[in-house]
Amino acid sequence: MAMSIEELKAAILNKALTAPKPQLYVKDFYKCDPESKPRVIKNAANDLVKEGKLSFWSSGSTTMYAACARVKNEEGEKGVN
Amino acid sequence: MAKHDTPMLDELEKGPWPSFVTDIKRQAETKPECWDILGQLELSFRDKITHWKHGGIVGVFGYGGGIVGRYSDVPKQFPGVEHFHTIRINQPASKYYSTENLRKICALWEKYGSGMTNMHGSTGDMIMLGCRTEALEPFFYELTHDIGQDLGGSGSNLRTPANCLGQSRCEWSCYDTEEACHHLTMHYQDEIHRPAFPYKFKFKFSGCPNDCVAAIARSDFAVIGTWRDDIRMDQAAVKEYIAGNYPSNGGAHADRDWGKFDIKKEVIDLCPTNCMWMEGGELKIDNSECTRCMHCINVMPRALRPGAHQGATICVGAKAPILDGAQFATMIIPFIEVSADNEFENVIEVIENIWDWWMEVGKNRERVGETMQRVGLPTFIKVMGLEPLPQHVREPRSNPYVFWNEEEVPGGFDRNVDEFRARHAA
Ligand code: HEM
Ligand code: HEM
Ligand code: SF4
Ligand code: SF4
Repeated sequence: MAMSIEELKAAILNKALTAPKPQLYVKDFYKCDPESKPRVIKNAANDLVKEGKLSFWSSGSTTMYAACARVKNEEGEKGVN
Repeated sequence: MAKHDTPMLDELEKGPWPSFVTDIKRQAETKPECWDILGQLELSFRDKITHWKHGGIVGVFGYGGGIVGRYSDVPKQFPGVEHFHTIRINQPASKYYSTENLRKICALWEKYGSGMTNMHGSTGDMIMLGCRTEALEPFFYELTHDIGQDLGGSGSNLRTPANCLGQSRCEWSCYDTEEACHHLTMHYQDEIHRPAFPYKFKFKFSGCPNDCVAAIARSDFAVIGTWRDDIRMDQAAVKEYIAGNYPSNGGAHADRDWGKFDIKKEVIDLCPTNCMWMEGGELKIDNSECTRCMHCINVMPRALRPGAHQGATICVGAKAPILDGAQFATMIIPFIEVSADNEFENVIEVIENIWDWWMEVGKNRERVGETMQRVGLPTFIKVMGLEPLPQHVREPRSNPYVFWNEEEVPGGFDRNVDEFRARHAA
């Protein structure tokens, strides 16, 4: 059975905090719950951004996700880019 | 911010054509940070490497697109371009503006940004070039609250949809491209403002096969107007063209004398499917062979026009990447009704079918056209729940084998591969 939205968000956040690289594609989150539809997972990840737990990183062409705790923006002391 | 020495850029001001260097210098008179654009570019020419840093976390609250972060990697030398973010603004359908609206946008951009714009980007958006991070939110607030416009898409979002001017100006439009574009833009606001896919996805809407927004070359999902029945003909007007009383191509080539109009040379012999001929002083068309290329209609608009049973063709999977080559979209649905009466329901169904599959099967940074190429057209057609059609066939087969699935054979068949392999090693 597919995870509840809260379980899914917890799994996504955990993955973002523990993955070797801080920046992840939305597809990297699909594995958090193979039962959930890609669009449900995308919406859960976007919710985490609204809550200030994840942030978007965009090259202009592609968007990636990172846990806020693991990245600083360009204006921070040390950028991740 | 001071003027820099830019001998190499100054070369680009020579010659009779317009020069972006001259434009930026003029802008720098009121926006001194623009001197630093030129200074940094000169340095890049000298160093033979870009001094822009690509990408970042910048954006406005609640949105995951519409703003593309750009930073200088030599900000001490060029503080004016320390931050130089690009903002995309969703253009109105068909790019109809009032001067009042353009003045407001330009004034707002003078207030918060560099004042430099690129009208328009390939996606269709108005591109505002260069502002600082702290200016993003106030700019966005005034744009949305005072001017009533919104950001466009960037990154892995649905990109800002675009359309030809369609029925608002063009007699050839086979459906209402503006209504379709506007409706789908509103319907998919979430997908435009927040990343939704493994990579970018673009819609474009052209009213006829002239494809004035180049949907077939530039969009993952191209909706191109067409007709099912026969080209409508007015034989009396054909005679007027032959007699030279009507200018061909609506007079578009009238700046030079091309000689007397020759219907055989200029129309019949140029029909790509050879389906036209003259008979008893009348023009004839074998419409079953016509590929709707628009050539004859473009040349003789007062005599010929698209048929009356109108709709669109859907082509999927164009891309223009730096690596791996560009490709046109592939024809998937030869004819679909496109109507505001059912709120474009049937088009939406096709779109979401593609999305559900591509989000699952597409790799990171793989456009849907590349995913289609990887799995092959027969698989994609099956995924879309379509029957293969003659129009899907591009060339005679090169594979001599015919494969049947169990469900395609009356009575089906049972085959236990494991049991077979137990006796015959692979
Ligand atoms: C020599 C300098 C530059 C190089 C080599 C370069 C290269 C590229 C590449 C490779 C992409 C695709 C990025 C991706 O797929 O992730 C891209 C996209 C982009 N670049 Fe640059 N870039 C340069 C300078 C600039 C500058 C100066 C600006 C603006 C001030 C800029 C604005 C953009 C924008 C807005 C996009 C996104 C286009 C889209 O949405 O597809 N670039 N650039
Ligand atoms: C030698 C100078 C330049 C040349 C020849 C040039 C040429 C072009 C061309 C051909 C395009 C595609 C136009 C289209 O949308 O169809 C383009 C797009 C663009 N240019 Fe330039 N450009 C130059 C300088 C610059 C500079 C100085 C900037 C910014 C500081 C800039 C920013 C952009 C951006 C952001 C786009 C893409 C807009 C989008 O997303 O579609 N360009 N440029
Ligand atoms: S694509 Fe066709 S309908 Fe649209 S503006 Fe061009 S000629 Fe007219
Ligand atoms: S539209 Fe093109 S293919 Fe069709 S009859 Fe005219 S020239 Fe021939």
